[in-house]
Amino acid sequence: MNLLFIIMAPLFGALLPLLFKRTPRAVQTLITLAVPLSCIAVLLNYAPATFAGDVPKQFVEWLPALGLNFALRLDGLSLLFVSLILGIGVLIIGYAHYYLSRDDDEGRFYACLLLFMASMLGIVMADNILLMWAFWELTSISSFLLIGYWFHSSDARRGARMALATTGAGGLALLAGLLLIGNIAGSYQFDAVLAAADTIKNHDYYATALVLVLLGAFTKSAQFPFQFWLPHAMAAPTPVSAYLHSATMVKAGIFLLARFHPVLGGTEMWLTIVTVVGLITMLVGAYFALLKHDLKGLLAFSTVSHLGLICMLLGIGTEGAIVAALFHIINHACFKAALFMTAGIIDHESGTRDMRKLQGLMGLMPLTATLAMVVAASMAGIPPFNGFMSKELFLDQAVQQHLFGGLSWFVPILATVGAALSVAYSIRFIHDVFFNGDYKELPKKPHDPPRMMSAPVAILAIMCIAIGLAPMTMVSGILDVAASSVTNASTTVKLSLWHGFNLPLLMSFVAVVAGILIYAARDQLFTFNRQFDGQDAKHNFERIVQRISDRAAQLFDRLDTGSLQRYVAFVLISVIVIMLPSLIDLSAITGGKPQQPIDVVSMVGAIVLIAAAFATATLHRNRFVMLMMLSVVGLMVSLAFAHFSAPDLAMTQLVVEVVSIVLMILALFFMPQKTARASSGHRVFRDIIIASFIGGIVATLNFAILTSPAESISDFFIANAKIGGGGTNVVNVILVDFRGFDTLGEITVLAIAAAGIHKLLNKLKPFMPSSDVDGRPWHRIKHPLMLTNVANLVLPMAMMVAVYIFLRGHNLPGGGFIAGLIAASAMILQYIANGVDWVKGRFNVNYQSLMSIGVMIAALTGLGSWLFSKPFLTSWFTYLKWPVVGKWEFATALLFDLGVFLTVIGATMMILSNFGKMTTRHRPTYEGN
Amino acid sequence: METLNALPVWSQWLIGFFILLGSVFAFIGSLGLALLPDFFTRLHAPTKNTTLGIGGIVIASIIATSVQGSVTLSELLIAIFLFLTAPISAHIMAKAALHTELKMFSRTRDYRQKGDAYEHEKAD
Repeated sequence: MNLLFIIMAPLFGALLPLLFKRTPRAVQTLITLAVPLSCIAVLLNYAPATFAGDVPKQFVEWLPALGLNFALRLDGLSLLFVSLILGIGVLIIGYAHYYLSRDDDEGRFYACLLLFMASMLGIVMADNILLMWAFWELTSISSFLLIGYWFHSSDARRGARMALATTGAGGLALLAGLLLIGNIAGSYQFDAVLAAADTIKNHDYYATALVLVLLGAFTKSAQFPFQFWLPHAMAAPTPVSAYLHSATMVKAGIFLLARFHPVLGGTEMWLTIVTVVGLITMLVGAYFALLKHDLKGLLAFSTVSHLGLICMLLGIGTEGAIVAALFHIINHACFKAALFMTAGIIDHESGTRDMRKLQGLMGLMPLTATLAMVVAASMAGIPPFNGFMSKELFLDQAVQQHLFGGLSWFVPILATVGAALSVAYSIRFIHDVFFNGDYKELPKKPHDPPRMMSAPVAILAIMCIAIGLAPMTMVSGILDVAASSVTNASTTVKLSLWHGFNLPLLMSFVAVVAGILIYAARDQLFTFNRQFDGQDAKHNFERIVQRISDRAAQLFDRLDTGSLQRYVAFVLISVIVIMLPSLIDLSAITGGKPQQPIDVVSMVGAIVLIAAAFATATLHRNRFVMLMMLSVVGLMVSLAFAHFSAPDLAMTQLVVEVVSIVLMILALFFMPQKTARASSGHRVFRDIIIASFIGGIVATLNFAILTSPAESISDFFIANAKIGGGGTNVVNVILVDFRGFDTLGEITVLAIAAAGIHKLLNKLKPFMPSSDVDGRPWHRIKHPLMLTNVANLVLPMAMMVAVYIFLRGHNLPGGGFIAGLIAASAMILQYIANGVDWVKGRFNVNYQSLMSIGVMIAALTGLGSWLFSKPFLTSWFTYLKWPVVGKWEFATALLFDLGVFLTVIGATMMILSNFGKMTTRHRPTYEGN
Repeated sequence: METLNALPVWSQWLIGFFILLGSVFAFIGSLGLALLPDFFTRLHAPTKNTTLGIGGIVIASIIATSVQGSVTLSELLIAIFLFLTAPISAHIMAKAALHTELKMFSRTRDYRQKGDAYEHEKAD
């Protein structure tokens, strides 16, 4: 057993609830519970070492080149958080079992919860700050899933999106900050960062790094001004709120502050920012908590407020403040989780969470009321509960600090105000719900929940009392080690309920009295607040997001007009702009290589090529003629390849030409035969200028390259094709061996493009012309007899040729690509002659699978070389003696080529058969037939 | 060129004859395509081109490679493919032309007007 288990168990355990989805819910819950419980068992194994002052560690190398290692540590601070996460996690899982209704998918819930637990554990145990960041992001994602658990509700979706956007943005800032810190420290291991604390604090980039890290922490912990997302995350199921938004997720920000306190803390800047933000958050949160009518809303804002309090303590940063902060983390987790669960119980049993509807529930649910009163008293800071003690410590720190010189006395006053508000909303929670008159009609008649649903609340309430009465036995041990790891010095904590009569006690007393008064005067407060008419943060947020995306869309619309000419013009103009200066700098374009004499054949070919290209451009409005001209261009190009001894290219070009012209003619079927004149005169003029410029530049470049005597790499390929790749066809050896990786990439792109086209054509319902342009209906014989017969005859012969070309490819012109295209064109002929349905009935191959199998064969051939511990795509060849055929070379490159062959067939057929399919379905029939 | 010069004289004559034959037919076919008055007559010309024209050149190629020692008949495949596909494409084009009722030269005879074959076909 090692530390990895604590993270890996929930990470992979997240699959368990999904695997056991069909079992009864109780079984699911038990299986899920087993995960954190086993983690706790492992934790208990390590805890003694941590208590003894050691730091158990685990180191697994992950991506050493990036400085990212799977390194874990379990120091005091980690131990504190791990215990909270696991302990409260167990209670939440048990509670959720009763909370979720029959219709809710319990498996999905538990899976997300465990995933979240794993990421949270990862944050607090990471010994590598990049690893910590990775888990940090994982909490954002898993909490998004949890908040949006009821994805049918728009509130849940919006709340989840808001949480993800806010914490995700903060996460990016944090990453930048961590990278800066890591760069300054020279390592991302936490120990190294800690050792470099002084260097970091004196570094020029300290301020930047600090602000970035704080942004991360503040967004996560919902500190002012990022407090807005937390209340909206309350759209989540209550167990999620209890877990994420009281005990764990928002504590991640606090954890980050505590973790980096020894590294970044203690400076003027830290003190000011963290303390002030914490103070503001505490007051803002407490004020809004008082105004909320929703139970969970009240609790959410009170969480914001308490997080502000902790944040402020971490800002003050003295030893006492740290201890108070850590202590309050424990206490807050206890009472807030319990309060959320209580709110959930009330909601669950009565059907509403609105405090204006709830009242007088004391008589109906006495047990819940009692437990709620205990934990609410703890939140209010009433003795003898644990909340009282941490609040006392806080007030004490507020009195002791001297951060703001002459204005330091503000702080204790504001702290008391915060405490008073806290008392007020705690009273409101209890009094509005359980007292305040008799029970009124509610959606459901409430009663105490099942015993086991109250159990987690009861356990937490007992914790509140126990910590309050015997703090030294309950928490001092863990606080000692946790505080030591934050202050970086051995700390001994002394806690007691009774501090004697002193200033903090007086402030507490004032706060309680003031709190009662504020609560009594709450109606005036509501009236006062009504004049600010409820600005909903969610709407504001949505509006901002909407505005940004509108702007983006506007900008996008301006750039992306959907006009192909425009895009091409953009690209070409950039080419001109980039190329012109260097071409002007070129003193002479002739490189000194002797020019070859021109022969008549090349001359005539060039003239035909130019004429056809010109005709293509000028006749483009008559689409069919244009296509014919285009195919002349293509044929001339393939003749040029043949003429200049590139038979492979010539063959490829020829077949590509055939296939693409067929494709375009199919497309013509859906288009008007003639295009209207679309471009204005000066547009045409502009295009002509751009085109001639580009033509001139390309011609110049060609001339310069052809006449320059520079040595090309082709000599290497020619020399090594036979000895290195076992083939005499250099082009093919380059394709399948020397540059096999390129080819693998290309066929993958081809496959993706084909899949894209398939998707685009899939639901397209194009206009089906029932007649040609002159209104003449299509011929009644769809598949002429002679054509079908000949097509059937040609298919096997063409396949034979394809196989022949494929097999000889390594040594003579040919190869998988050409063979694939030949086979595909024979198949296309079948489609044309016999129709889609006929072919489907006889040859029902899924072209997508064919294509994927092709890519897979090619990739696996490459991977195969790993079995012989050679680099990816190393090829091997031997000569086999075959009967009849004789000596024949076998190369693994042939297998690779097979992959190319299949991919090309699959991709081509997928595109064409899809297009063809559209032309044949619902085809108009001949009248009188 | 050197390889051709190394061949026996009789085969050179034979090869030359077939190449010339092929070229003449190819030229006649192209000329016809350019000069004949309407689609139907024009359709007539290039079919000569693909069958006899290319056929002659293919035969020349077969002779040339055979005398050099290796008898390869893969050129025959070219001829077979052409003989199979060229008439069919001409046929399909003719059908399309009839269907779209292209203009006819005055001396192009249209048997559909009087022949029974068409009426019979229509009755199907």
